[in-house]
Amino acid sequence: MSRVETRAAGLYHRTVVTVLFLILLLPLAGTLLYSVSTSWSATILPDGLTLKWYAQLWTDPRFLTAFGQSLLVCFGALLLSVVLILPLLFVVHYHFPKLDGLMNILILLPFAVPPVVSSVGLLQIYGSGPLAMVGTPWILIGCYFTVALPFMYRAITNNLQAINLTDLMDAAHLLGASTWKAAFLVVLPNLRKGLMVSLFLSFSFLFGEFVFANLLVGTRYETLQVYLNNMKNSSGHFNSALVISYFFFVLLFTWAANRLNKDKA
Amino acid sequence: MSFLSIQGLHKSYAATSIFSDINCEIGKGEFVTLLGPSGCGKSTLLRCIAGLTEVNGGKILLEGNDLVPLSPQKRDIGMVFQSYALFPNMSVQQNVAFGLRMQKVSKDDSAKRVKEALDMVELGTFADRYPHQLSGGQCQRVALARSLVTRPRLLLLDEPLSALDARIRKHLREQIRSIQQELGLTTIFVTHDQEEALTMSDRIFLMNAGKIVQSGDAETLYTAPVDAFAAGFIGNYNLLDADAASRLLLRPVNSRVAIRPEAISLGNGDIDAQVRSHSLLGNVIRYRVEARGVELLVDVLNRSADDVHNNGTHLTLSIDSNAIREVA
Repeated sequence: MSRVETRAAGLYHRTVVTVLFLILLLPLAGTLLYSVSTSWSATILPDGLTLKWYAQLWTDPRFLTAFGQSLLVCFGALLLSVVLILPLLFVVHYHFPKLDGLMNILILLPFAVPPVVSSVGLLQIYGSGPLAMVGTPWILIGCYFTVALPFMYRAITNNLQAINLTDLMDAAHLLGASTWKAAFLVVLPNLRKGLMVSLFLSFSFLFGEFVFANLLVGTRYETLQVYLNNMKNSSGHFNSALVISYFFFVLLFTWAANRLNKDKA
Repeated sequence: MSFLSIQGLHKSYAATSIFSDINCEIGKGEFVTLLGPSGCGKSTLLRCIAGLTEVNGGKILLEGNDLVPLSPQKRDIGMVFQSYALFPNMSVQQNVAFGLRMQKVSKDDSAKRVKEALDMVELGTFADRYPHQLSGGQCQRVALARSLVTRPRLLLLDEPLSALDARIRKHLREQIRSIQQELGLTTIFVTHDQEEALTMSDRIFLMNAGKIVQSGDAETLYTAPVDAFAAGFIGNYNLLDADAASRLLLRPVNSRVAIRPEAISLGNGDIDAQVRSHSLLGNVIRYRVEARGVELLVDVLNRSADDVHNNGTHLTLSIDSNAIREVA
């Protein structure tokens, strides 16, 4: 390829990327600008800049409660995931490698069944009877576990396949370690990266989850997204401040996940 | 009584027998090699001795005590794996110290023994490195140090050199052998490489299809194969069926015959032959010749240009009568 063509192709590539970025960033930039403007209706640029919408948001007790409750539900679900999935992965890969195929089908189910459909089923099962959990955060924790499962299972499985699990366990056993000690001292530290990455990704995803939260619990245990939905009739500036606050929080988490991914790579 | 005695060992997966009725005796300080093609059961046998794979019957007596009921942690056996199996999250120092940590050896004592072990494999200055910063050969030396530091009664090596390139393999081969002799450590080495087996071992157990076909020192195995498999696996024996052997030797032969390619000499004999092809292996020239309708491999030392015969050349050859072995 000649020099001129290379330069033309380079220009083309750069243009595509820039346009794509603009398309993705413009709505965000607009929202950001709207959230810091006093009023912005009949003019090209806002009338004035202010932080009062943020001040109003971050002093609203209902917002702070929703924020805290979202955090609690997410952390609860992730804790449950770690406690259940780590031993599961170890057992599947060390003792019953054939089960991996079955697990790969199982973890597709949350994707195969849309949340709207599965919430109807969940409402039926947990709406009454011995396990009447609808309207409590517990059902969200259980439900979010199923949402987080595919992310965590895949990420940690990739991590496990990168280490030679059987040989590492054999070597540790022959050096005198019990299976527990070998799992904690040898296997677990090597899964740290996959575990952290999948935790951060799942968190970002769950923190923004709306369908399950709204259908299963709604205002009885308001999470951030449900709060946002309920505030849709209030000031647009206020809502923009909410969206930008939420976005920056998730951005922070995603950035942390990326940082961890690069470390020791 | 021998140091390690394996009696009637049997292993099968479901209906498939991996090996059955394995018996062997290994003396203290001996370097023994299990040699055989892949799938012959040699690695499984090693894993059974280590306790990593359960056996279906038989005994493994180490200094008179049966190992079979013991877990691998209690067998006092060191093992080196083909995949190195170093713990990626630990430094070289921590890897080697792991076994001592499990035995709750004091910090000072442990540090001293780790240093000795690393010095022994010439990696004293690599203590703070991590496995991903080491080459394959260095990894395997760390793995060796890690298995030696706990002073096991028995060292098992499962194809430790197979993942390494030729030059490093040769060097590490000598290093393993000299450390083994220095420590007088009873060692079982598994390989499919006949050269490794012949150069390193005190004794070789040749295995095929779950059976020990032949055992003996390198000399015996090389010069006196007991059957066609042994002759075919070790060296580059010419294996002739009874008909071809009768034609070549001009006398009736009733069994198969194995002749080493270096036991045939070209240029002075009473058998007419013609060179079909030849290839230069360095110090040896390997000829494919046809004599009396039988194709033979002949190895000749490459001493001078006179030793090189072009393809199609007619010449005569002779066969050392002591080297003609009838095999089952």
